[in-house]
Amino acid sequence: MTTAAANNLASCHLCCKLSSASESHCSRCGAPLHVRKTNSLQRTLALLITANVLYVPANVFPIMITDQLGQSVPSTIIGGVVLLIQLGSIPVAAVIFIASVIVPLSKFLIMYYLVWAVANPRQAGLRQHTQVYRVTEFIGKWSMIDVFVVAILVALVHLGGIIEIRPGIAALSFAGVVITTMIAAESFDSRLLWDHLEAEKHD
Amino acid sequence: MTETSAEVRSGRRLTPIWILPLVALAMGAWAVVYTLANEGPEVQVRFASAAGLTAGKTKVKFRELEVGVVKELRLSEDQQAVIGVLEMDRGIRDLLREDTRFWVVRARVSGANVSGLETLLSGAYIEFAPGDGKRGATKYVALDAPPQTPVGAPGLRLTLLSSRTHSVSAGDPVLYHGYTVGCVESLEFNLDDRNIRYQVFIDEPYHELVDSSVRFWDAGGITLKAGAEGFEFSTTSLETLLIGGVAFDRPPGFDRGLPAADGDQFRLYSSQAKSEQDPYRHGKYYVVEFTQSLRGLQSGAPVEYRGIQLGYVVKIMLEEMMAADIHGSGAPIPVMIYLEPGRLQAGDTPEMVETLHQSVAEGIGLGLRASLSTGNLLTGALYVNLEYYENLPSEEMGEYNGFPVIPATAGGFARIGQQVSELLDKVNGLALDETVDNANASLAQLSGTLEALRNILEQNDTQALTAELRNLLQELQALTAGMGPDSALYQSLDASLRELNETLSNLSALTGTLSAKPNAVVMPANIPDDPVPEAPR
Repeated sequence: MTTAAANNLASCHLCCKLSSASESHCSRCGAPLHVRKTNSLQRTLALLITANVLYVPANVFPIMITDQLGQSVPSTIIGGVVLLIQLGSIPVAAVIFIASVIVPLSKFLIMYYLVWAVANPRQAGLRQHTQVYRVTEFIGKWSMIDVFVVAILVALVHLGGIIEIRPGIAALSFAGVVITTMIAAESFDSRLLWDHLEAEKHD
Repeated sequence: MTETSAEVRSGRRLTPIWILPLVALAMGAWAVVYTLANEGPEVQVRFASAAGLTAGKTKVKFRELEVGVVKELRLSEDQQAVIGVLEMDRGIRDLLREDTRFWVVRARVSGANVSGLETLLSGAYIEFAPGDGKRGATKYVALDAPPQTPVGAPGLRLTLLSSRTHSVSAGDPVLYHGYTVGCVESLEFNLDDRNIRYQVFIDEPYHELVDSSVRFWDAGGITLKAGAEGFEFSTTSLETLLIGGVAFDRPPGFDRGLPAADGDQFRLYSSQAKSEQDPYRHGKYYVVEFTQSLRGLQSGAPVEYRGIQLGYVVKIMLEEMMAADIHGSGAPIPVMIYLEPGRLQAGDTPEMVETLHQSVAEGIGLGLRASLSTGNLLTGALYVNLEYYENLPSEEMGEYNGFPVIPATAGGFARIGQQVSELLDKVNGLALDETVDNANASLAQLSGTLEALRNILEQNDTQALTAELRNLLQELQALTAGMGPDSALYQSLDASLRELNETLSNLSALTGTLSAKPNAVVMPANIPDDPVPEAPR
């Protein structure tokens, strides 16, 4: 098995045409040509850190503020989960807990691990790394479920002075977390995982 | 053709993407700083119970504006109360003073009013009244009930002291001539001085009525006076009759005093009459040490100077005497008296108290002494009399337990007793025995004389004399009986006397004519003259 890079070929990011790696632009669409995504690790890392920073206010501040008869009750994500458990709606609590706590956290850990794996190449588990990366990229967007729930509630529950729901700072932060992690996953070039294998072959 | 080779450098350079986490961090940092900067003060308020309070929900309001929230509710360390941690808004910091008062607003129905009905829907909330004490206090004790006066109402807050409870309770009106000018905010029993303290609030325009010369009294209930004019029945108002109240006024004859300030203390009298009996506020305690019996001296007994009451006896200081451990040494008994310059119409001010003190101190040098005098001979009640005495050893004002001492001298009955004993001493000195001997001799002579007299009377001649005397009297009686009205002698005598009377009356007519006309004896009766006409006038 041989790779395009090993044959001194580069794939265009846009139209996927293989061109000689010495070319600077794609001969078909004119897009800049790189063998691998530029600064993939730096971008991924930077976006991960951004997401991490945003994750703090997303959990500390209220995601949703309910104004009921003049009393405003702020609720955080974890507070909402606890409340749902107390009310007995364990499935709903589980969905929210998985979507807004487990998924983003596991995504952070996996992405950090993948970045570390590229920087410190090893032989074992390369296939699992790629599979994990694929799952992460797929599931990451479902974290947006929280933001959607808040957005829908805000739009629906608007009964004048009786009850009203307003989004809190955490809703915006959480949307930022989800978006930055998605871009981080996108910026990560999974081919980097395999590159050292080729390098070792040539040696 | 020379072979050109490109210099290949490692692509390790920073991409602009790193701005993103930096921006996120900056925003996070800003949020933290902003939150910290806007974080209001946190105070701990001790509540009797957490009824109606919910951590994170119950609001703190000031003038119905939300200014904070209950952050946490927990049991106090002594488990006797609930500590509420209140997170206040930043702008409220200035209002949190040492004497800021917190209370829970919930629906209340009491005798006088109904309040806080709106909390039935919205739930209880915490309200507070800002104080003007020192800043920076963080621990408060919540009031049991909302204060009677609205938050920040202008006016005057006074303390009334009373040694016994009256029919006054929190919320009762304060009346001036029957008009409500304030209210009683709270009352508490002070264990230290065993007094009941009433917090009273006088509303703004009326606080000018309060000055140092006004007196407060319990206006509740009915006044029933029985006098020479019959019964007099009076009550201030139906409201005070039912729920009580406090009234104040200046006692008659008192001038306007100094304006009252916040926190001034006044005595609460049990009735208006009492307030007029003893209306003085300023005075000074003195001690008099008596060596004579204090039987009949009671606390409240007057202290007089030449008959003018200057004050009263507070107590016999037995406790202090015992504490001084001088029992058994025959030490004088200290008596505490209280002198009020206001009784001299000199002005009821602290300055006058000082002036009185000066004159007492000077007077002691000039012979001013206190003595016990009997006020009532029947009951033996004593009063303390201040008087100048001459020929006394010079003394100065001493001190007993921190009180100035007015030296005492024997007075009143004790003084009379002294004089009587002096008199008896003189009587003892008289030569009574000789006098008695002389008198005895005289009496012996007198009895001899009497004996001689009896001998004379017992002689026979004397007896015969009396028999003759009796005969004489019998003859005299017979003689007078012969001259009774029925006897012939009497009747002839009577007829002669009547004739004599007639003769005399004729004779008197004759003498009348003769005196008017002496010639009537020889001349006929006078003839009238001829009439003479008179000229008209």
